[in-house]
Amino acid sequence: MKYLPLVFRNLLRNKLRSLLTGGAIGLAMLLVCFFLTMPGGIDRLLSEISSNVRVSVHNKGGVVYDMPYAYVQRVRSIPGVAAVNGEVWFGGAFEEEAMVTFPSFALDPDAVQAMWPDYKIEPVALEKFRRQRDAAIVGRETMKKYGWRIGQQVSLVSTVWPVTLTFRIVGEIPNDRAPHFWMQREYLAQAMQALDRDLDTVGTIWVRVDDPAMVPSVMARAVEMFRNSPAEVTAETEKSFFASFFGSLQAFVQIILVVTALVALCVLCIAANTASMAVRERSREIAVLRAIGFSRGIIFGTLVAESMVLATVAGGTGALLTYGFSAMIRMLAGGSMGSNELGPLTGFLVTPGIVAQGIGLSIVVGLIAGIAPAWGAARRPVAEILREVF
Amino acid sequence: MSLPIAYSVRNVRARLRRTSLTIAVIALAVIATAVFLALLSSLQRTIVSTGSPDNVVVLRKGSDNDGSSMLTLEAYQAIRYLDGIARDGEGQPLVSPEMVVQPTVRTTSGIRENVLVRGIEPMAFAVHDQVRIVAGRMFRPSSGEIVLGLGTVGRYEGAELGAIMPFGRGRWHVVGIMDAAGSSFESEIWADARELANDAHRPFPYSGVRLRLAPGADRAALMARIEDDPRYALEAKIETEYYAEQAKSSRSLYFLLVILAVPVGVAAGLGAANTMFAAVQARTVEIGTLRALGFSRATILRAFLLESLGVSMIGFIVGAIGTLLLAAVLGAVMGGIGFAAATFTTNVVTLRVSAGDLVAAFVFAATIGIVGGLLPAWRAARLRPVDALRKA
Amino acid sequence: MPEPLISLRDVSRVYRRGADEVHALEHVSLTVESGLFVALMGPSGSGKSTLLNLLSGIDRPSGGDVVVAGKRLNDLSEDELAHWRSRHIGLIFQFYNLIPVLSALENVELPLLLTSFDRRERLARARTALDVVGLGARARHVPSELSGGEQQRVAIARAIVTDPDLIIADEPTGDLDAKNADQILRMLLELSHELQKTVVMVTHDPRASEWVDLVFHLEKGILKETFAGAAGKDHVEPREPSAGTRA
Repeated sequence: MKYLPLVFRNLLRNKLRSLLTGGAIGLAMLLVCFFLTMPGGIDRLLSEISSNVRVSVHNKGGVVYDMPYAYVQRVRSIPGVAAVNGEVWFGGAFEEEAMVTFPSFALDPDAVQAMWPDYKIEPVALEKFRRQRDAAIVGRETMKKYGWRIGQQVSLVSTVWPVTLTFRIVGEIPNDRAPHFWMQREYLAQAMQALDRDLDTVGTIWVRVDDPAMVPSVMARAVEMFRNSPAEVTAETEKSFFASFFGSLQAFVQIILVVTALVALCVLCIAANTASMAVRERSREIAVLRAIGFSRGIIFGTLVAESMVLATVAGGTGALLTYGFSAMIRMLAGGSMGSNELGPLTGFLVTPGIVAQGIGLSIVVGLIAGIAPAWGAARRPVAEILREVF
Repeated sequence: MSLPIAYSVRNVRARLRRTSLTIAVIALAVIATAVFLALLSSLQRTIVSTGSPDNVVVLRKGSDNDGSSMLTLEAYQAIRYLDGIARDGEGQPLVSPEMVVQPTVRTTSGIRENVLVRGIEPMAFAVHDQVRIVAGRMFRPSSGEIVLGLGTVGRYEGAELGAIMPFGRGRWHVVGIMDAAGSSFESEIWADARELANDAHRPFPYSGVRLRLAPGADRAALMARIEDDPRYALEAKIETEYYAEQAKSSRSLYFLLVILAVPVGVAAGLGAANTMFAAVQARTVEIGTLRALGFSRATILRAFLLESLGVSMIGFIVGAIGTLLLAAVLGAVMGGIGFAAATFTTNVVTLRVSAGDLVAAFVFAATIGIVGGLLPAWRAARLRPVDALRKA
Repeated sequence: MPEPLISLRDVSRVYRRGADEVHALEHVSLTVESGLFVALMGPSGSGKSTLLNLLSGIDRPSGGDVVVAGKRLNDLSEDELAHWRSRHIGLIFQFYNLIPVLSALENVELPLLLTSFDRRERLARARTALDVVGLGARARHVPSELSGGEQQRVAIARAIVTDPDLIIADEPTGDLDAKNADQILRMLLELSHELQKTVVMVTHDPRASEWVDLVFHLEKGILKETFAGAAGKDHVEPREPSAGTRA
């Protein structure tokens, strides 16, 4: 510790260089942390909106393949099942907004609270949702996006069913990450009946299991129950359901990580360059210190410390600035980033973990960058350097 | 008087180790941005190269993609005999009714992806003239056969010529492989439309219709006729425009690229400037001597700038080679890169570094070199010979 | 009779420079008693600096024994030597070699960082040393704000602050004008005679012999002659084995 003032003085010796190097390291760490938010976005989304005790039962062929509606009752009978809710993809498009679609489902209003207690929907809203045939409950994000208010009427054109339905919004799902639009299954069924058609299918059956230990057996029973039927099913936890939904983004995430690694390597070279310049310019001073009696260990230590302090201060600052930077990016990007092919990658939410990783990486960069030049300086025989000095 | 280029060259050589670190910095910055750029342009190329300007996509009004559209048989029949549609040798209109389904398929690495399966009739190959069977043969209707786009081959379980591929409710026999000139049709699987509709229990036989315009036809009039028919609520778009609209969503990727390139460029520029400053500092006396000998400021400025530019160009060359190698390695290790398409299916993109990507990277490296060298060079030129020599 | 502070027996130093062998020192034997002010003189390349390096434990001999302050330096490792130097040697250089980013006081404090003294103790000692060289008032100045003579006095303070047995000075006046040079030489003389420090100084300055007790004259790596300087104390005599004779 008593050598620290020496380390700081040396860093301030060539302010321009420290500033340039620090700037480069800081910027790069900002970038590294920013990119690290992308893979983290998936995990975050999964942990926010999904649960391990909620199980999705859907057609083995994929969620776009339907199942007979009777499956809902049969799944309910499986021991360990606390609640079931069958969902039908409505594929609603909002006519007034250039026909954009968003995730809209028709489901059983009586089993909403039992299925999604973690969404914390207001009981008043749920009560209205149960009673009014044309009621809709809408995710906060979607409400914000179209400027909808509770009590408002909206018309959605279905892209799946030959109907256009008008809904009254009775409540919201108070979760920024839930964009759903929920309607009563019965409302859609009646509309279809008017066209002389029965609504006798279901897309996804959500199952809630109270005891996490029962989840595997419930899933196995569900799959077994419909084996060799015309609609075989797959069961998976909500987490793995969404995880596989984003699975195709994996390669992109890998490339982001490769690019991140390249940036880190780049900054390592910059830091190493600076460290070697510092050591080279000060070879006389270093020799003098060693002649005075400073051991190789102390010389090595202070030089590495110098590189590490610079990298850590600069990198740490950059990592912390990621909070502001990503907020700015989110603002600039607006809502339009949410619904594209990067989906959950563009949340850009910085976590303390990511910042800690950035700072950790900075320390490592400083350490590695400092080692080679510092070792060179400490290793050379004093007499040899001093011959050039005396 | 001007300094020979050899002056700059020798100076670079004299500080080889430090210069090579700077070169590494620029090379890495070039690789990072060029790989990202290549990813973007590959995606862009895949989407934009899909479709033909002579084709029209007909979907149900309100559907922005054929994954969420549906069309009745009557609508198809009504469109079929409209004026302005090209006809084949036998007088059949080039109208291809298509059914799109997005089943979940397991990749060979165990991930589940949604694949766009397009149910077609034989006419599809006449309308989509960029699609050709390059191995095996076309499927026979109603016999459980499919043909695979090149991008899907090897990516999914059973996606091999002659193999059985399970998806939807059935098990399908792969009888052919199709090439679609790098377009996103290569990420698709084509099957018999009716068979597919049966498998998916679709109430309507078709998602949409693609048709080929007759040469010289009034396309606006044709499209207006399709859209104005009150019975069906349809929407018509030129095929290339339809895919261009889907590519619009890669705007956010451009955005990301800028986010990447600016800080990386600035950081690398700072690194380069650092080295150049050190070079100027180490050569203060030398610069003073040159100035005393009568070399002008402009000459010195130019020599240092040239040196910085030269270093960044070497960095670019190293980086360009690195980019090509890295892209090759990534391609070999990861295969195609999946993006989610507008149809919620996977668009398989092959990472390919184009000349345009490298040109952009070149400009990037040159900018780093000039900006990073300018300030130090200016400082070198500004040194007064008296001061420079006294510093000795 | 007490042990001499410095005792060199048959010391040689050979460097390799490419394919050539450079014989910087050949079979030098000499002894120096405590409290003397000694000058090493001779033309360039005579081996003065090599001898100085050996005495201060910066370099090790190729042959022979170097014993300083009761320690045989031949056997010590690089780090042991560093530790030994920090205890027993004070170094003064021609170009002062102060650390430019540190103030005069901090420069003087530097060798004390290697001791177990706490900060308060270190600063107190460093101030005392600066007072000894008459620069107490300039403690806060950095080297670039000091004149050459002042810088060298700071360097002297740095050399004595650890209370070493032996002070080694390599052409301490080489970069100074006559007035400043005299001041430095007087200071070194006082150190040796009043504080009983042994001072060994390499110098080209012919007037230096007026200030010192003893002069060793080297030529081409060989100790040619030893004679008493003008400041010589009465008891100073070259001791057997007679310096300069080949063993």
